[in-house]
Amino acid sequence: MPEEPQIIGLSKGHRLQFFWLLVVVFLVSLPVLIFYTTGYRLTFENDQTTIVTTGGVYVTTNDLEVDVYLDEEKVEKPRLFRSAYYIQNIETGIHRLVVQRPDLQTWVKELPVDPHIVIEASAFNMPAVPHIRPITEYLDGSGRPVYFTLASSSSLFPQATTTVLIVTATSTSARVFYDLNEEFIFVQSLFSTSSSESVFDRLRDQMERFRFSTTSATVSTTTDFEPVVENGNIRIEEQAGELYAVWYGPAQSIPYYFCVTERSSSSIAERYGTHVAAAIEKHTVSTTSPLLTNQDRLCRPEIKLDRKRMDVYFYDFFPGTADLVLLQLEDGLYVTEIDDRSWQNTQLLYPGANLQVALDSNSIFVKEQNRYFEIITEIEPN
Amino acid sequence: MEEQSHLLPYARRADFKVARATELSGKDRRFFRFLEIAPGALSWLILIGIILASIYASFWAAYFIIAFSVYWVLKTVFLSYHVRHNWKRLKHHMELDWEQLVARFQYDHFYQLVVFPFYNEPKEVLEGTLEGLKESKYNPKRLIVVLAAEERAGEGAVEMAKEMQERYGSYFGHFLVTIHPDDIAGEIAGKGSNTHWALHQVKELVIDKHGIKYQDILTSIFDVDTIIYPDYFNCLIWHFLTTEKPYKSAFQPVPLFTNNLWEAPALSRVMAMSSTFWQMIMQERPDRSATFSSHSVSFQALYEIGYGQPNVVSEDSRIYWNLLLANNGDFDIVPLSYPIAMDATVAPTIWGTVKNIYKQHRRWTYGVENWCYIMYHFTKNKAIPLKKRLVIGFLQGEGYSSLVTNPIMLFILGWAPIFLGTREFHETVLSYELPIMVRNLLIIAMLGLVVSSIISLSLTPPRPDGHSRFRYVVMAVQWIMVPVTMIVFSAIPGLDAQTRLMLGRYMGFWVTPKRIK
Repeated sequence: MPEEPQIIGLSKGHRLQFFWLLVVVFLVSLPVLIFYTTGYRLTFENDQTTIVTTGGVYVTTNDLEVDVYLDEEKVEKPRLFRSAYYIQNIETGIHRLVVQRPDLQTWVKELPVDPHIVIEASAFNMPAVPHIRPITEYLDGSGRPVYFTLASSSSLFPQATTTVLIVTATSTSARVFYDLNEEFIFVQSLFSTSSSESVFDRLRDQMERFRFSTTSATVSTTTDFEPVVENGNIRIEEQAGELYAVWYGPAQSIPYYFCVTERSSSSIAERYGTHVAAAIEKHTVSTTSPLLTNQDRLCRPEIKLDRKRMDVYFYDFFPGTADLVLLQLEDGLYVTEIDDRSWQNTQLLYPGANLQVALDSNSIFVKEQNRYFEIITEIEPN
Repeated sequence: MEEQSHLLPYARRADFKVARATELSGKDRRFFRFLEIAPGALSWLILIGIILASIYASFWAAYFIIAFSVYWVLKTVFLSYHVRHNWKRLKHHMELDWEQLVARFQYDHFYQLVVFPFYNEPKEVLEGTLEGLKESKYNPKRLIVVLAAEERAGEGAVEMAKEMQERYGSYFGHFLVTIHPDDIAGEIAGKGSNTHWALHQVKELVIDKHGIKYQDILTSIFDVDTIIYPDYFNCLIWHFLTTEKPYKSAFQPVPLFTNNLWEAPALSRVMAMSSTFWQMIMQERPDRSATFSSHSVSFQALYEIGYGQPNVVSEDSRIYWNLLLANNGDFDIVPLSYPIAMDATVAPTIWGTVKNIYKQHRRWTYGVENWCYIMYHFTKNKAIPLKKRLVIGFLQGEGYSSLVTNPIMLFILGWAPIFLGTREFHETVLSYELPIMVRNLLIIAMLGLVVSSIISLSLTPPRPDGHSRFRYVVMAVQWIMVPVTMIVFSAIPGLDAQTRLMLGRYMGFWVTPKRIK
């Protein structure tokens, strides 16, 4: 038996040594971590160790199950949230970002990445084949839509798919067997007055009648035309036969896609496209709508929307977003983004020349050949 | 007027036992009030400063948060190292036969005076405590047991104490029941005033009456739920006899809150073990610590300072600061690295447990009143070396400040620049990398909890019948609650206590309910 305990307390000297060791670790690791978090990286290319400055891309997607590619390389991680990707360690320069899924339309954008800066983008992917939910006057006992037609159910909407089972009846006398659909009456009321004129023609008519409205209705249709629609501080309005997304809010809260940053190494045209450079140029000299300068950013107060040189029959914000616009053109209904850096992605939502469109809260309703249906924009992956 | 000739010179000062600024006058009062305001003001300044920096100097706030996270990781490593070493020492000390170790000394003349102040704790608690005392390997006839009851607790408490005296009195050398009057001017109701009265009484009724020398008495002031391990007094006397300055030292065991650990909810267990770990860390840093909860000191030392203060909430630590100041800085803490068992805080319901833990920790963190006391007296007692005064003042101040601010800064305000920063900041890589970096550093820091989990399992009492083995798994993973418990039961009650002191809304003593199933 020992005369005293064999394990004694930590001596002050020992504790001090350990303390100073940790102080050294702190002093060494802190600058390294700060440099890392600000974008500096070590590279070992060509047998040389060099320090490079990197930037990042932050892209949000409207669909959770999409694949994101940066310069043709699939981005796996990191993923901050399921619908947002933060891609780090990107070298300075123009980079190509692709967001896709086999059954969705592809979103592509080229963006300039600057050192220490994260550039933002918001991708969207509409179904490659339109997806609809038919709305009929009658429903069968199981709630399925009923069409009184001699045609087969598959030929009713040849350009679209639906997961709803459609019932066809050959005779209208069979109506007594079905239930009246209250939703149909509501949707029909959205299209109560109809017009097949382009919005520009109707706008001219309205101008002639000195009628002008500045607010958007909660329900807008191709028949109930409002020349200006507004979402937050962004308005979509017609100017000289073109459609523009116009920012009316304070300069400090203008969305990123209205703005560009200048770099001595490359021109605005090289970084964002010639059309953006031209717009910046235009607003630089404009006295009515001058550039909004915000720190190092140059911000245009408006962005022209790409209407593919076609007449516009309907426009409004895509439900639930202020970044996307719903456009009915001559050959169909499209979704386009306001962000025109590099280009504007425009995706066909439903093809057709004789459509009428109505929005109700977050739903897009279409009337085609007296058939009503809702367009479904979010679909489960195959 | 109390006889003062036996007191050490500095302890004779009129302001030696000052508790609050309101007890002083003139410049002293203003200075003491400033000291009462300072900790709370500093904590609020730090927390508000982080928010303002996040808004107006986002980049600097982000750099600071990274630096702070690295500091936290290294602090975790540093503290885990101390816990691990003390754990080894504790296990070693528990394996030793202290009776045999102390046999080489002549110690038969030493008495162990054990004071158990209590209020209205259940009878089972007192029985458990006295049964534990009976199991002690120390000569029971050299034990002086004092059950210190409160008059304000009513007849029941006094009768219960007397019943205990009848049952256990003959087993020990002396057994005294004291009844602390509830109307003594200048006191606050609580453990401190009760102990103060009991020490006066035992001196008069037992020590002086039997002519026991004060130098031959080791006084242990124990919470009433304290169950000693059989070799505690042998371990204590061994340390007393081998330490360099036995009469200038306080002896601190490791409180294990394990009496009711198997009955306590996970939240209570985590808090109980966290408190134990903190005391284990302090065992390895005695130069930074003070007495806490149950502890021991020679009666002679207590006599020389007039038995501590009856007018403070955190009397367990204050007694050490009284001793340090009265001895002109020449008073040490001797860590025993030997456990005593106490109750984890519980209540019949989870919500009740949460409230009790919160109140208990608010009372503990109100120990910041001691910082005001020592800083006040450090300006008065120039006999204490300046370096010692500066080091103690800084370390104690830093301890109270970090207790309150660090968890909030780390787990809440660490994200502030991301939400409050400027647009320029939000566009930077730094803004996006900050949460990833802080998260990763916190994960590394949380690895320290693995050490905590292993050590806590090794300190857990054997599983009683009726408890599933699965409880061990729960006990292992319960440590993931630490980020929450650090904020809810350390930082917030600490801020609450400091704010009360800052606003002059002085706290009273809150008796932690004890319950044993």
